[in-house]
Amino acid sequence: MEEYKIELTVNDEKISAAAKPEESLLKFLRRNGFTEVKCGCEKGECGTCTVILNKKAAKSCIVLALQANRKEVWTIKGMEKLELGRKLQESFVNHGAIQCGFCTPGMILAAKEYLDKNSVPDREGIKKAISGNLCRCTGYKKIVDAIYAVAVENQK
Amino acid sequence: MDQFKYISPKTKEETLKILKEKRVNACIVAGCTNVLPDIKIKKISPKILVDITAIQELRGIDKKKDKICIGPLTTIAELINSELILKESKILIQAAEEFADPLVRNNATIGGNLVTASPAADMAVPLLTLDAFIKIESAREKREVKLKEFFLGPGKTVLQDDEMIVGIEFEPSDINKKGYFIKLGQRKAMAIAIASVAVNLEVKQNKISQIRVAAGSVAPIPIRLTGVEKFLANKAISNKLVEKAVNRVREEVEPISDIRASEEYRRYISGTLFKRAFNKLTN
Repeated sequence: MEEYKIELTVNDEKISAAAKPEESLLKFLRRNGFTEVKCGCEKGECGTCTVILNKKAAKSCIVLALQANRKEVWTIKGMEKLELGRKLQESFVNHGAIQCGFCTPGMILAAKEYLDKNSVPDREGIKKAISGNLCRCTGYKKIVDAIYAVAVENQK
Repeated sequence: MDQFKYISPKTKEETLKILKEKRVNACIVAGCTNVLPDIKIKKISPKILVDITAIQELRGIDKKKDKICIGPLTTIAELINSELILKESKILIQAAEEFADPLVRNNATIGGNLVTASPAADMAVPLLTLDAFIKIESAREKREVKLKEFFLGPGKTVLQDDEMIVGIEFEPSDINKKGYFIKLGQRKAMAIAIASVAVNLEVKQNKISQIRVAAGSVAPIPIRLTGVEKFLANKAISNKLVEKAVNRVREEVEPISDIRASEEYRRYISGTLFKRAFNKLTN
């Protein structure tokens, strides 16, 4: 079996494990206990597997696990360690932006990258930032409201 | 059972050597946004995945002498954020903003979009109207190919087994600064184009001194509409002229019917998209 050992940090903790060349980062993370990263379409369409990879949001089903070698990964579970992450989680709860919850990890991580880079509250910008994440329950309005509220609070 | 293998070369030379030795057994990967789904549906059988993302010299956007040079590893997100691209070829940013979604754009590369050779390739269409050319290297030789001669068919390019793209270049010029791209998809994000049109135009005293028109998803490859270009060259702009050109666009494209749209609709809408782009540039 052709496997290669990689080292990376996930939510600020070092891990080292072996991965196959064709294994996606999504499968690798789930196999190593990070099942908070959800598996949806596995072809880069739905966005529920989104993680933050070296400060950029990425769909982990279309990233090679081996490409995460020596990189920094954040999943939804790590968000409670970060101020902006916590604020987003709380805002999603307060705005009822969650129904089945399956898209929520991806939504929050895509929003986190966007708010890290954009400090002016802008509904259109938020909509574009989450345009790669599908939600089949909420109709998006409450999700946009939740992210917008954090952007407004951040600007103060 | 054969297994995939993985190599991550640090230099271009190392990569070219691997390609020379392994030929068809090597598969270059970078953004992986197409490769991983293709592996999953077994469109790609076990190969050596040659991950070139560590090669810094293939990344970035520069102005060298009289050329704008884009490294093939430049991501679509990096293009959007480039002030040089905004100044020299805004049409590329328009296309990049229509490309997939922000998360995919963080990883997908411009070189990957071209070698995938989709008839719908969003970056290929404006690069065609920028008169871009592709710098190709192998361990044997270096060569340059005009982008309009790069694509051979869906998924097929002039690249040999041992060759790779090392640069995408075009001239900084007035006409390249003035372009407009329109993509029609079924929704605003993650859509594969039903049709897309790019126009670059130079007007002098209400006369078209130079025009380049390209279209995506309306032929087996992204194409330049040279018939329309010849028809419009050196003519005075009028509504009547535009209407005639729209009909020429509809005649010149060679679309097929597929899951996204019918041949007839594509033929019709490509003329309409041309008109919208042309009017944006002239009004």
